[in-house]
Amino acid sequence: MRLPDSIEKLRQRLFGDTVRTFAWTSLLLLILLAVAPAKHYFADWRVYQRGYQQLISKRSDAVTLRRHFEPGIQQIWLPEIGVVDRCTTCHTGLKEASLADVSKQPYRHHPDMPHKAEEFGCTVCHRGQGAATSVEDAHRATDAWDEPLLPAKYLESSCGQCHQQDLKGTPQLNLGRKMLTQYGCIHCHTVKRPDGTVVAATDDPPSLEHIADKTSREWIYAWLKDPQAYSTTATMPNFKLKDEDARDISAFLMASSTPGPDAGSKVVPAVLEQAKKLKGDATLQTKAASLYGQSFCASCHAVQNAAGNLVGGDIGPELTKVGSKVKPEWLQAWVRNPHQYDPGTAMPRYRFTEQEVGLLTGFLMNKADADLLANVHLDAATPEQIEHGKRLVSDSGCAACHEVNGVKRPENFAPELTKVGSKPVAQLAFAPGVKHTLYDYLDAKIKQPHAFGAGLKMPQYTFTATQVDALVNALLSHNERALAMPAAKTVPALPESHYEAAGSAGKLIRDLNCFSCHMINGRGGEMAPELTSEGSSVQRDWLAQFLRNPNTLRPALIRRMPKFNLTDAEINTLTDYIMTVYQSPKVDRDSMPLTGYPAGQVELGKQLYYSKYGCQGCHIIDTKQDKGYVGPSLTHVGSRLTAAWVYNWMKDPQALRAGTQEPKRDMSDDDARALTAYLMSLKGHDAMEAKK
Amino acid sequence: MSDATGKDFVAVVASDQRKAPVRVAFVTRRTSAQVKSQDEEVIQAFPEVLFRAAIAVQLLAIVLVLISLFFNAPLEGLADPSHTPNPAKAPWYFLGLQELLHYFPPVVAGVLVPTLVVLALIVIPYFNINVEAEGLFLKDRKRRLQIFWVSSGVLCLFLLLFDVIVALVPTVMTVALMAVAAYTPANTSSNFRRSLAGKPLSFWVMSWFLFELVVLTAVGTFFRGPGWSWVLPWRS
Amino acid sequence: MSVRVSKYFDALTETRAWRSVFRGGSGSSTLHRSMAIQQNIFLHLLSTKVRKRMISLNTTWYLGTLTLGTFGILVITGILLMLYYHPSAPQAYADTKDLQFVVSSGQFLRNLHRWSAHAMVFLVFAHMFRVFYRGAYRAPREFNWVIGVVLLLLTLLLSYTGYLLPWDQLAYWAITVGSNIASAVPVVGDRVRFLMLGGHFVNANALLRFYVLHCMVLPIAALFFVAIHFWRIRKDGGLYAHQKDAASVSNCDSGRPQL
Repeated sequence: MRLPDSIEKLRQRLFGDTVRTFAWTSLLLLILLAVAPAKHYFADWRVYQRGYQQLISKRSDAVTLRRHFEPGIQQIWLPEIGVVDRCTTCHTGLKEASLADVSKQPYRHHPDMPHKAEEFGCTVCHRGQGAATSVEDAHRATDAWDEPLLPAKYLESSCGQCHQQDLKGTPQLNLGRKMLTQYGCIHCHTVKRPDGTVVAATDDPPSLEHIADKTSREWIYAWLKDPQAYSTTATMPNFKLKDEDARDISAFLMASSTPGPDAGSKVVPAVLEQAKKLKGDATLQTKAASLYGQSFCASCHAVQNAAGNLVGGDIGPELTKVGSKVKPEWLQAWVRNPHQYDPGTAMPRYRFTEQEVGLLTGFLMNKADADLLANVHLDAATPEQIEHGKRLVSDSGCAACHEVNGVKRPENFAPELTKVGSKPVAQLAFAPGVKHTLYDYLDAKIKQPHAFGAGLKMPQYTFTATQVDALVNALLSHNERALAMPAAKTVPALPESHYEAAGSAGKLIRDLNCFSCHMINGRGGEMAPELTSEGSSVQRDWLAQFLRNPNTLRPALIRRMPKFNLTDAEINTLTDYIMTVYQSPKVDRDSMPLTGYPAGQVELGKQLYYSKYGCQGCHIIDTKQDKGYVGPSLTHVGSRLTAAWVYNWMKDPQALRAGTQEPKRDMSDDDARALTAYLMSLKGHDAMEAKK
Repeated sequence: MSDATGKDFVAVVASDQRKAPVRVAFVTRRTSAQVKSQDEEVIQAFPEVLFRAAIAVQLLAIVLVLISLFFNAPLEGLADPSHTPNPAKAPWYFLGLQELLHYFPPVVAGVLVPTLVVLALIVIPYFNINVEAEGLFLKDRKRRLQIFWVSSGVLCLFLLLFDVIVALVPTVMTVALMAVAAYTPANTSSNFRRSLAGKPLSFWVMSWFLFELVVLTAVGTFFRGPGWSWVLPWRS
Repeated sequence: MSVRVSKYFDALTETRAWRSVFRGGSGSSTLHRSMAIQQNIFLHLLSTKVRKRMISLNTTWYLGTLTLGTFGILVITGILLMLYYHPSAPQAYADTKDLQFVVSSGQFLRNLHRWSAHAMVFLVFAHMFRVFYRGAYRAPREFNWVIGVVLLLLTLLLSYTGYLLPWDQLAYWAITVGSNIASAVPVVGDRVRFLMLGGHFVNANALLRFYVLHCMVLPIAALFFVAIHFWRIRKDGGLYAHQKDAASVSNCDSGRPQL
């Protein structure tokens, strides 16, 4: 085909010789080379900055906003914590409070935050790639960046990088951390805090060394198959065992069990007799039920009521079906003295009479569920089954939580989780259908560990969605950044207290397991009031009386101090010890008299109580009129507390007990003194007399 | 040029003296070489050749700039000695070697093979069979066929023994082509077969090297996944 | 218009300043054109005349020229990249990131350098096989072939040393895999590896070593050999032409120096 002459002429003119063609290729190359700078001109961040300028130009405070606006790439550079955050390049309105009505990102105003961005940057909390200046690179995971922006529900994990103590604003993180120590996670997985301390478990899985004393093989089998069928609150996870595996493990556990210390010697036939009698005797049943109630067993143990709701505390195991589990011989010995079977138990030793032991044993044995073991039929175990069971016990890591005869506690049974919050995604093996991010991996791993492949040992927990999110939060907080954080920026965990009380009182305190509920010198539970300064706050007579017959101070509480049936000598020992040892350095008990305040001052105090400070909102003095159920009842506070304590409490309650709900009112010395006088006049003699 | 004159030699003079200096070639009677002293047309390097080269380079630059505008160079996370990616791959041009490393001990695949390759490349122009530049099987056919079949048999067996299927495939391909060349009848009508039959040994060695290079590199680059196992690149 | 431009250009080439720079002078006679090549330190490596059929694309595919072209692109982009780069770990990685995020056209520069490097390795191989299949390695060009092999190795080394410089996982482990091969050398393997890395494993010392090799030692060596390579093309009788294509033996394969 021949080109028309004119075109051929043009071609000759343009490409006729090598030099002309060279000119054209040069031109094309130069144009293409100019595209790169042009691309830069249309970079994400420039587009957003132009958008911001347009946005603010229409606003009434445009002048101020424009003055605050700095064009170009902005960055927060904090080398000591590894932050190069250029987020503020696009997020231009972060600090502009007047942009509160703007909901369009990236211009939105940042809500109040406890830290300054200049000190911590953005990515320390939000993750994402701070150095990036394009939307995709900054927010999402790329080949060169593993950590996408954290979804809001996991944001609390970032607080946990520096704050090792619980924070008010991070309920999810606090819950997650508690779960980590409570659900046995760290029996298998080691978790170290940035300061090197190991996170310690707070649960106490029972020893299985003497399990044959306590329960039957059938129950073990049923429990292994589905712990939550026995008790919905059981913390033991479901290992999804096959029938024959559960059969063999139960066979091994029964075979390896040895008789406990003094097993059998403590069996009192009369007690068992009485327990048995209870079944058909309504009067005995009522008596036993009221003993159960008076002993405040429900403070620690829950029981399912008729409506299917659990009522009671969660310190001890749920007792709804306990009769199907334990043997009466074991139970009566346990009720008499739990320390004998398990020296580490949280249960106090009540001083029950043999008759009471029989009543409670019978009462509890009645709490049985006939269906639980109805379908469990196990033949006698063969040696092969026992051997197989032993192998399963050792392979499944049972001994990581429970003591088992003949199986050693495995070391590093599961991967350490100290840096799990920054584990590279490339190193994770994802189950099908799980999104390729670290938090989705953790979420799926907790929710359905068996989806990740056969042969994995992680058991199935039964957590709610909230619990899983909380746990993921806690896990995400254990990461490389937390480990690299300079000490000056961190708030370390409170050191674990191993406080022990001394002498014979100390022995009593251990025997009664006061620490299960009360905190003393940093050790103990949070269910009941802290006792570290109890000696400064209460009067000796009241304390002795209270230990003899604990009445309730807070009417709104279901969980109350149980009655331990202490002897006078025991009460004396305890009272003396508490009064002398547990004193606050801030309060001198004897600096103010307990009685003898002028009537005028008392009257003034009463007025202040009801009008100026409105104390009746939370406390009760007049049982007929006052409706305050938040704080403890003050009907006879004058015989309970020391005047010095009351006075100091008025002045600054938080100084005496950190975290108390009592507000600090900044009252004058006179007001405080008048209130003290009034409160100390409330001796409550009438009530006490009447009771006697 | 004919030597009908009966002299010992023939002198030839280039006709265009203005373009090229006079050249004289002496050809003795005993040699059978034919000399064509026809001059080729030449052009000035400047500007024609230089500008053509410049255009070629610019066209290449244009292609590379276009690629660079649309495809970003790969970048992964910060180097971390404690986290080995799986698989850890060398640059693509070494993946052929890495593929061999999968089969042979490092001394063989990592040292011996590359050293031999480099030595072979250096030696090729000095290789005497090479200079003849004639078909491998045209001369001394029987002995060469024997050597060919024995050596290629041993090589294939060796590769089979080490289970190196990846290297075996190009070897078999080369051997097959060589067999086609070897058994080409002299009066074949196929141009392709005739040209194959005329290839010297160096051609076959180099072609074998090229096949191996391409196949091993492609396999190492695209078909190897975690633990150096087989993967399909389109299924990631 | 073009006539006018060339008139001004001709006037320019007649000025004293121009003449002082370009010794060949101006003019379009064969002499002047030859002088343009001969009187230039760089161009004198090339022949003043080339067989006409050698300039057609089919003959050489311009692979050697293109390889030199990628080398040129790599030198230019490489120098620009050096302005933003610190050869220290882990700063090197941060610099690579900043090239992407804050340096104007930084990502483009890096892309161009990277893709050109791959192109160069590919072109060097292609050039080698093309030369082989054309038979252009035969006497008297044997030694130029050997120089070509040296240049192939230099190219591979240049690419390999450059591979480490971004200091990312890809770089780190590619170099680790490669350097482990070095330790397989009998007897001196571990020493070779130590020398190569400046340590027992890939670390900041290795990065510095590779940087020096990549940015100074190897490019200078490559330039040196490229110069010889081109000069030898001229000295060995220009680009190789097939004999059967009516080539003149006396002209091409005599080994006689031309001009």
